[in-house]
Amino acid sequence: MRNKLGLVFFPAFDWAITPTHPERQERLLYTRDQIVEEGLLDIPDIIEYRPRLAAISDLERVHIGIPTIKSLITDAHLVSAGGAITAADAVLNQEVKRAFALVRPPGHHAMRMVHGTRGFCTINIEAVMIEYLRKHYGIERVAIVDSDVHHGDGTQDIYYHDPNTLFISFHQDGRTLYPGTGFANELGSPGAWGTTVNIPLPPGTTDDGLHYIYDNLIVRMLEDFKPDIIINSAGQDNHYSDPLASMAITAQGYARLADKLQADIAVLEGGYSIQDALPYINVGIILAMAGMDYSQVVEPDLDRKKLTQSSRITSYIEGLVRNWQEIWTNREKLRQEEIHKSKGLWVQNRSIYYDADGIMEQQRQEVHLCPHCPGYFSVATEANGPNIGYQSAYATVLSALSCPQCRRQAKDQLSANKKTGNYQYYFLQDKQADILERL
Amino acid sequence: MLLGIDVGGTFTDAVVIQGQQIIVQAKVPTSHDNLLEGLLLALDEILRTVKAGQLERVVLSTTLVTNALVQNEIDDVGLIIIPGPGMNVSAMFPKTPITVNGYIDHRGRRAGVLDTQEITKCKQLAEYSIFAVSGKFSVRNPLLEQEVFNMLNDAYHPLHVSLGSQISGRLNFVRRTNSAYFNAAVWHKFNMFAEAITQALAQRDIVAPVYILKADGGTVPLILAKAQPVEAVFTGPAASVLGIMALHHSCGDVISLDIGGTTTDIALWQDGVPLFAERGANIFSYPTAVRAFWLKSVGVGGDSFVRRQNGNLQIGPMRLGPAMALGGENPTVTDALIVAGKANFGHKQLAELAMKRVANTGQSPVDAADEVLASVCRIIVGAINDMITEHISQPVYKVEDIINAVKFDPQLVVGVGGAVKGLAPLVAKEMGIDSFIPTGSMVANAVGAAVARPTIDITLRADTEQGYYSIPELGLRKSISGARFSLASARELAFDCLAAKAQEINIPQTDMEIMYEEEFNVVKEFYTSGKIILCRVQLKSGVLMPVLGKEVW
Repeated sequence: MRNKLGLVFFPAFDWAITPTHPERQERLLYTRDQIVEEGLLDIPDIIEYRPRLAAISDLERVHIGIPTIKSLITDAHLVSAGGAITAADAVLNQEVKRAFALVRPPGHHAMRMVHGTRGFCTINIEAVMIEYLRKHYGIERVAIVDSDVHHGDGTQDIYYHDPNTLFISFHQDGRTLYPGTGFANELGSPGAWGTTVNIPLPPGTTDDGLHYIYDNLIVRMLEDFKPDIIINSAGQDNHYSDPLASMAITAQGYARLADKLQADIAVLEGGYSIQDALPYINVGIILAMAGMDYSQVVEPDLDRKKLTQSSRITSYIEGLVRNWQEIWTNREKLRQEEIHKSKGLWVQNRSIYYDADGIMEQQRQEVHLCPHCPGYFSVATEANGPNIGYQSAYATVLSALSCPQCRRQAKDQLSANKKTGNYQYYFLQDKQADILERL
Repeated sequence: MLLGIDVGGTFTDAVVIQGQQIIVQAKVPTSHDNLLEGLLLALDEILRTVKAGQLERVVLSTTLVTNALVQNEIDDVGLIIIPGPGMNVSAMFPKTPITVNGYIDHRGRRAGVLDTQEITKCKQLAEYSIFAVSGKFSVRNPLLEQEVFNMLNDAYHPLHVSLGSQISGRLNFVRRTNSAYFNAAVWHKFNMFAEAITQALAQRDIVAPVYILKADGGTVPLILAKAQPVEAVFTGPAASVLGIMALHHSCGDVISLDIGGTTTDIALWQDGVPLFAERGANIFSYPTAVRAFWLKSVGVGGDSFVRRQNGNLQIGPMRLGPAMALGGENPTVTDALIVAGKANFGHKQLAELAMKRVANTGQSPVDAADEVLASVCRIIVGAINDMITEHISQPVYKVEDIINAVKFDPQLVVGVGGAVKGLAPLVAKEMGIDSFIPTGSMVANAVGAAVARPTIDITLRADTEQGYYSIPELGLRKSISGARFSLASARELAFDCLAAKAQEINIPQTDMEIMYEEEFNVVKEFYTSGKIILCRVQLKSGVLMPVLGKEVW
């Protein structure tokens, strides 16, 4: 059966981080060639949309930019975030059944607090889209499946305290690849414990391993979570030919995943084998999402014999899945234990590195748990970098459902903090009022 | 003197233009069984005033190809495709294809070997004398198509083989395949026609070069059209757009209407230039690579049948006969125009009778006529607005093009066609802009044909990393020496090739223009290793000169 698919294709042919950077003008050139040559844009059930521009207020629903988010981005970022929003609108307005925002620049390494660009990302285009959906369509429960080879640490950061967002990321093990996070013990802060799911995979994992995880773990998580909407962060660098990673997934593996997942909205993330992988993976995903036959989408250089998964990897993955199944089954009990242990306050200190700008950030997050509401949290940040020098900020984040008492307490704490003057900038991100207020 | 002949659905028109004036015109009924008869009738009428030797150029716009397709008077074509991996295309063409293994990838590299056995062993192929061959990415490298072509020639000695890469230099395998198929299907019919017209002109001592009008409004020498007859599909609307261009110097953004008996063709003009269908025209429901003006056809015109159903007015799309005012049996839009005082012919009483038939209880014939015309306007304006929305929301692939988005701000409705006089001003009024109906609009199509510019277009793609460039329309693939080849060199080379081609087919080499270009660095392991450059150039289309719209009866 066919489904109408909305396609927001925006290759940003005039945008690059630097001319020879993997995120350069050429990145989606061969994908454009393949899509056009296949004739996909003439299929009546595939409707191409022109991306709109996202507004700064759309970005500030998610991000706190230092000193402002506007100063850190280019127009291209507004187009790619706007492209994701365009895709989401098309689905929610029921013009199409599903949509694929095949756009760049990508976003899944961008965290809530932004000092610059890290992992090729400045703003998190999925999160901007999701918060837009929550604001404009009243969507509550969102599941994100991140199929990029790199851990989606930005998306994880943004939703780490949100029990209504299930973030599932499978990726090459952080011990062997940027950004070095995404281990199975990163599970969310106590109030949202178990809604962050990391599945670190050994290099060399093939389609078999990936689909074993999907069939035996992810499918059940999605069923249990009962999301209103499923988002796929459709990174494509698990491909066997990707120059930045070491996995062994094929275009068929990706297309079958898209077919099984049937995400409402897919958003492109990474993927840097721009000639040998992206043209085929993207055609595969488009066909699978449109409910069309993708079985003939095969890389011309594919040699399946070279892509067999070692028994060591297979048993490692089986163990990982067993482990996760147990956590998932007991997640409610374990969550209560975490909440109990926290005694109302959960604190995390960490360092965050911005590879593109050479910025080192020290961050402290404090989550204030409340028995009546999702509570609130604060982020204190200090960063150093060659272009920014030293900059610091303190922000308090109120959820749309924070209770009056939490709201009062949060604001008091923020103004007390401002009085000390320890930080250069102070922010209140208030989801209920839908504003980012600079104090 | 320039002669233009337009074989339309109802009439065949001929005009001779000299010094921007129509000096002779002729109109005869189109002879549907044999288009040539009516065409020659019109020609002979012209030749009563003008000497054959005075004609400098003859341009024909005919429905021959369209009719052949609509009436299914086409040849059975052996369709051979080389799709390689990708979308399942087996059910996407007008004809079930024979699939051959082999693959050229997006860089034009041979990525899968041609399976020749399927061609030599396939018994089915022996039944055909005409073939179409199309391979994915053949515009990047026509090698596999050419190998199949050679094999077919050796094994079956066919009359004709259409190759996808020569029909269009642009990406889109499905469109090229459909184009090649339709091209092959009408090849024989068109060539018979070309033969007959050549003879008939010779008999009349006409030695002027003969051109055929294409769907994109350009003309090509008959000899070239014989190889690519599919481009002569849908020339009627193209002639109409050119006629408007010749009769009215448009500048700014314009909406043009050709309001005929049962349909209204709408075109948008940006900065005085008609917009093209970006990817190509559809033939039936099949997308093709045939370049054409971007037109929307709505099913309302002067003869559209008007009736009231469940209290609601219904207009068209069918025609049941002429207006009641002209002796027809059913109410039409023309009857409404007459009653509303927007047209002045036929029997007014009969037109009033027609409006009484569609009037609500208590509604006067004049009010009913106004209601009919308001409905017609709504349909046309609705279609215009849809087109404008579609145009300004065309996907674009650069940030710059999002930030500086194209705007369309129409200032004028220009109309031609039978029912235009009454309707175009109403449409313009509804949109709050002016309207203009050029005189001579009744023979606009023939005028358009007479003064249409000869055009050809080519696509040059250079891949300096692999060290070659190709121009598929010319069947060309040549080496280049890498380092210094730039976009500027690509342009220069493309213009040279275009000029050489123009010279070869004996058309003027003036007014070359760039239609599209792009340039990308190819980066390998953080070093720029070459460039990919695309440059599409053409001999500018449009009209040779403006024509004063003074009819000469």
